[in-house]
Amino acid sequence: MGIIERARVYSPWIYHLHCGGCNGCDIEILAALAPRFDVERFGIQLVPSPRHADILVATGCVPKQFVPMVKRVYSQVPEPKVVVAVGSCACGGSLFYDDSPENYAILGSVDRVIPVDVYVPGCAPKPEAIINGIVQAVMKLNHKKG
Amino acid sequence: MVNEFILLLSMLVVVFVGLFLGVIYSFLLRKISARLQWRVGPLMSVYSDLRPLLGTTRVLQPLYDVMKLFGKETIVPEVSRRRLFLYSPYISLTFAVLAVLFIPFPGAPLLSSTPYSLILASYLLIGAALFSVLGPVASGSPWAAVGVRREAELFLVSELGFVLSIFSVAIARGSLTIWEIANSPPRPILTAVAGALMLAAMLGKLHIKPFDMPEAEAEIVAGPYTEYSGRLLGTYYLARIFILYGLMALFVSLLLPPLSTSIIWLPAYLVSTLVLVFLLALIQVLNPRYRIGNALIWYVKILIPLSILNIVVLVV
Amino acid sequence: MSTEFKLLKRVLSRYSTPMTLNYPSSVVPERKYSQIPSGLRGVPERDRDKCIGCRACYFACSGRATEVIDEGNKRVIDIFLFRCTFCAHCQEACPEEAIKLTERFEVAFPRDEPGAHVSTELDLLTCERCGRPYATKRMLERTYERLMEKIDPLVKETVSNDYRKLIGYCPDCRRANSVALDTHTKKYVWLEGV
Repeated sequence: MGIIERARVYSPWIYHLHCGGCNGCDIEILAALAPRFDVERFGIQLVPSPRHADILVATGCVPKQFVPMVKRVYSQVPEPKVVVAVGSCACGGSLFYDDSPENYAILGSVDRVIPVDVYVPGCAPKPEAIINGIVQAVMKLNHKKG
Repeated sequence: MVNEFILLLSMLVVVFVGLFLGVIYSFLLRKISARLQWRVGPLMSVYSDLRPLLGTTRVLQPLYDVMKLFGKETIVPEVSRRRLFLYSPYISLTFAVLAVLFIPFPGAPLLSSTPYSLILASYLLIGAALFSVLGPVASGSPWAAVGVRREAELFLVSELGFVLSIFSVAIARGSLTIWEIANSPPRPILTAVAGALMLAAMLGKLHIKPFDMPEAEAEIVAGPYTEYSGRLLGTYYLARIFILYGLMALFVSLLLPPLSTSIIWLPAYLVSTLVLVFLLALIQVLNPRYRIGNALIWYVKILIPLSILNIVVLVV
Repeated sequence: MSTEFKLLKRVLSRYSTPMTLNYPSSVVPERKYSQIPSGLRGVPERDRDKCIGCRACYFACSGRATEVIDEGNKRVIDIFLFRCTFCAHCQEACPEEAIKLTERFEVAFPRDEPGAHVSTELDLLTCERCGRPYATKRMLERTYERLMEKIDPLVKETVSNDYRKLIGYCPDCRRANSVALDTHTKKYVWLEGV
């Protein structure tokens, strides 16, 4: 592993994007960052701006009005980047999956808007499952070029 | 000729040693804050079954952060003033490294015996902080504008407190050259009083809670650094590492006199800087974040009058 | 002033014994996972031998994750794990207790992973007359077994013969040929004791 590739594995920074949803997955992500499941042990930090991030963690079922914002935030994350969809809503739409023409509000899962690399299903997934997904995403990041 | 050569060589070595020590202090600040919050923080020795994947130790974690940032794409906003945006991080880093060269390290006096080196070192540190404000101003983002306004107001009062405490030491020792101050006999009461005032002023310079409202994370997105990414952000982080090392070294040179002169004091120098980092981490963990108005009031009503009182007592 | 000292003492009390769990490392197994309750609902798993293809799980699924695809003479019941909310409604609805939610919760799938589906394939029985598949073989066998368990012994043989004769026809064909197949229930009226 080159030195920059090793630094990418040793220091992955997360930006958490809440695309609509009940906040259950957001609370579990918060629990993953809290002292009990401290992910800072592996150098993972929550950054406030998408321009600083490597990993975009998306939660929630995307409403149709929020689609331009998701695209905008995704384009602000510099390469190389990975996207992790956390929770059943972000993975496949869960209860709110509706493709009928009368549906005016919900678009569905996050991968209808941006390309997703790792899916972590669950409602809400346990913090261990989220950490597992993020570690897999970090390994994927290692294989991408800048 | 030989002297100049040794001087250049020692300057080069101390820049790298300063980088290494700055990384260690930055790591320790994170590690001790984590331990005080009942969690682990960046691992000093990674669990044995994860070592092939995640490395043996994370002691150089801040350095990995900087290296990773250098490998990322740099995005320059269209609305920014391009040249100021692009050059400010490098100017800030240059000033920080130059400031480090004027502060002695045990065994290497460097440039600290030039006359008025105290003023040069503190000016260079102020310059580094100034360019970490001018770059964000040029980025054209409203979040950066709010962060820069807070940073500028905090800058005014914390620099005033810092300069007052430095000059109290200079008045007491009768010299403005760091090397002479570092070689003078110890004075415990001066160390205690001026040390406490300088520590309080350093909280504002290093953005340690309760004075981290310029980069108030998530409150104003990332504050001044919102639009920075890639190698420009990495340069700012590197400048901050040098500033941290520089301030710790300046504290020890001015207030703990013989410790930064010759190499036999190296263990004591390291222990004293570690104690200082521990104190900073303790203050960071135990305090919430002030509003900028509260910070100004605290500085103007408490710190600056005490510093002025300190100077008056020393003159009289 | 004493509250500040109490706070300081509390902060320093666990300096060397942090409360962090070691996930994902297994060097100390007790400190890997947080408390896993015994009824934790994880990834569902369907026992292929017990499933009768009745589609109760499809109708009970709250996340529209279960799909039933009838093709030729095969019925495939497929749970798309990305849409599953792990609510266990299918487990409650299944009459044969074929589907159970395991305690596996550490799942994370990269894109296009085939393991994100839990599929069961069953054979459909085709009608002898019209050739359309109408029910799974397992459901018909299981219905026969359940029927024979609880039936009144007087009518047992008649019902058993009728079942074997009628099972090869779909309900529409049974209706169309009711005279030829003798499906009228009058044969039970003349039995004694009924």
